[in-house]
Amino acid sequence: MTTRRFFLCSLRRSLCALLLCGLAGIAGSAFAADRVIVLDSAEAQLTLIDQATHKVVDTLPTGKEPHHLMITPDHESLIVANSVSNSLMFIDPRTGQLQRRMEGVDDPYQLGFSPDHRWFVTAALRLNRVDIYRYDGHNMTVAKRIPIGKTPSHLDFSSDGKTVFVTLQDSGELAAIDLATQTIAWRMPVGNAPAGLWMTPGDQYLLVGMTGEDDVAVVDWRKRQVVKRIPTGRGAHNFRSLDDGRHVAASNRVSNTISIIDYIDLTKTRDITGLLPGPDDMELTADRKFLWVTFRFARHVGVIDMNTYTLVDTIRVGRSPHGIYFSNRAPVLGPNPD
Amino acid sequence: MINEAINALEDGIASLQTLLYVDAVQPLLYRLGLMGYDEDTYDALYWVIVGVLQIVVMYVVLRPLEAWFPAESWQDRKATRVDVLYTWIAKLGVFNVTFFFLLQPGFDRLQSLMAIHSVPDIQFDGLWPGVTDGPLVSFLIYLVALDFAGYWYHRWQHRFGVWWALHAVHHSQRQMSLWTDDRNHVLDTMIQAAFFAALSLFIGVEPGQYVVLVAVGNLLQSVQHVNARVRFGRVLERVLVSPSFHRRHHAIGYGHEGTRYGCNFGVLLPWWDMLFKTASWNSAQEPTGIRDQLPPPQGRSRDYGDGWWHQQAAAIARISRRLFPAR
Repeated sequence: MTTRRFFLCSLRRSLCALLLCGLAGIAGSAFAADRVIVLDSAEAQLTLIDQATHKVVDTLPTGKEPHHLMITPDHESLIVANSVSNSLMFIDPRTGQLQRRMEGVDDPYQLGFSPDHRWFVTAALRLNRVDIYRYDGHNMTVAKRIPIGKTPSHLDFSSDGKTVFVTLQDSGELAAIDLATQTIAWRMPVGNAPAGLWMTPGDQYLLVGMTGEDDVAVVDWRKRQVVKRIPTGRGAHNFRSLDDGRHVAASNRVSNTISIIDYIDLTKTRDITGLLPGPDDMELTADRKFLWVTFRFARHVGVIDMNTYTLVDTIRVGRSPHGIYFSNRAPVLGPNPD
Repeated sequence: MINEAINALEDGIASLQTLLYVDAVQPLLYRLGLMGYDEDTYDALYWVIVGVLQIVVMYVVLRPLEAWFPAESWQDRKATRVDVLYTWIAKLGVFNVTFFFLLQPGFDRLQSLMAIHSVPDIQFDGLWPGVTDGPLVSFLIYLVALDFAGYWYHRWQHRFGVWWALHAVHHSQRQMSLWTDDRNHVLDTMIQAAFFAALSLFIGVEPGQYVVLVAVGNLLQSVQHVNARVRFGRVLERVLVSPSFHRRHHAIGYGHEGTRYGCNFGVLLPWWDMLFKTASWNSAQEPTGIRDQLPPPQGRSRDYGDGWWHQQAAAIARISRRLFPAR
């Protein structure tokens, strides 16, 4: 970052902070600044960052190896999945404070609610299993534990809530599970180390981040065919919709870039470069101006200006930062649409 | 101040981890089509760096003590060289990698079956939410629980013949030094890893989260073997296993006699020896090793091997003779 840009960023941040302080004064005790919540997967903790000042304000204990998080359908709780502790923590999505815990959820590495909110699904990466829970708006009860291929890692759903799709990282496959019967509908090969999954609007295609390759596979899931490969960067991993009706971001964990994909033309439009190692999970601010990203292999979180497509700030967090969330985010198309 | 120093050290380790991973290890994984191990390898690299740092700290702190205040005077240090090799193998994570590939899938499968068949487990850190899940408290609970298990594991190593044949690799070092802690048979290391992994399944431990404390625990075990007159004092030696307490355990005839007798089995805490009446506080210096290594008439000059391979093979030979004695 040049000195001039750094100065401008600092100035902008100071002005933002000043404005927020003023608003806080007006709103009085009703005001609580939103926190960016980052899961430090190798440290059993989450880091809370002030979204306005980019300062770390606190760290709070979680269970062991928290990797991913998911907002509940009523937006009242954020679920932190502690994969090695076999537990879920429900926390306040704005402050990170603990609300309640749920034990006995086996290896919840990845998690998601079906769009009709009837099902809660976890991918047990270490245990080679996908577990389906019935969701009643508050509690989850096991419907079925389904042994599946090696290392199920990411999930997405069909918009009718009938099917959950899961990537099987070490099997090199994509699988579909019928939620009503809780049975595996099909499995198909997609390539080396498939990870992130993203359904294009209208349920037309599934985009699959190929972490062992340098592309995103476009899967016509009804025909069970890979119809195209979009070259992105080495280690394509995860997605975040950009809420502009056209684009989705894909992180590339080996190239250390983020590719912007046009999901209508199915082409890459640009790369964001100059990042730290291991860009992984991403979250977009409500005004769509900043994309936050965890740098898995650099113990930092980054903030990318989406006007200039440049990294404007990095914030030190704990070891292996993975999931990231803040409540005033841009709507999510999938997985788990807002 | 201490926090700042720990933070600075952690930052240094993290930078080195990132540098090594991004520039050397990850490109290799990618080329070999092993990106499924991307995250695990990155996390494991942290422990390799911590292991190398442990060796540096051990050497810098303990080696001068061995030179200036030796407990035993030796003509040379040739016999300790093989233990240096054992230490590097252990600290570079070779055993961890072997465990990961050979045994981890089995334990994951076991955990999965436990859930499917509703076998209960105890998550110690979840016993009292808000207290027992705090980083320090949960670590201390697990430390005590695992140390208790470690005490019994060690007693059984001395109790059962085949197991003793493996553990004898550790005891056959007659020049006990800062390097001796990791001198163990490969099979013994794997059995130990499996034992603690099984236990961890039931009590939910993962000490890997607590870097500093794990590193200090490992360092303490190196201190226990140091060839130096380091006194803990009457109080501290009843809190932590001291070098003289552990040296007593290695003393021929006084600390152990094959499978027939033993004392001072504690790993980090001497409490279990006190509780189960196996503690000896006598700090008189006695030769360490195994009786049958001694020349006749005390022993029969048995050869436990000089080099790594020889020692590993000799243990297997001892086991076969025990299982299939010549008629």
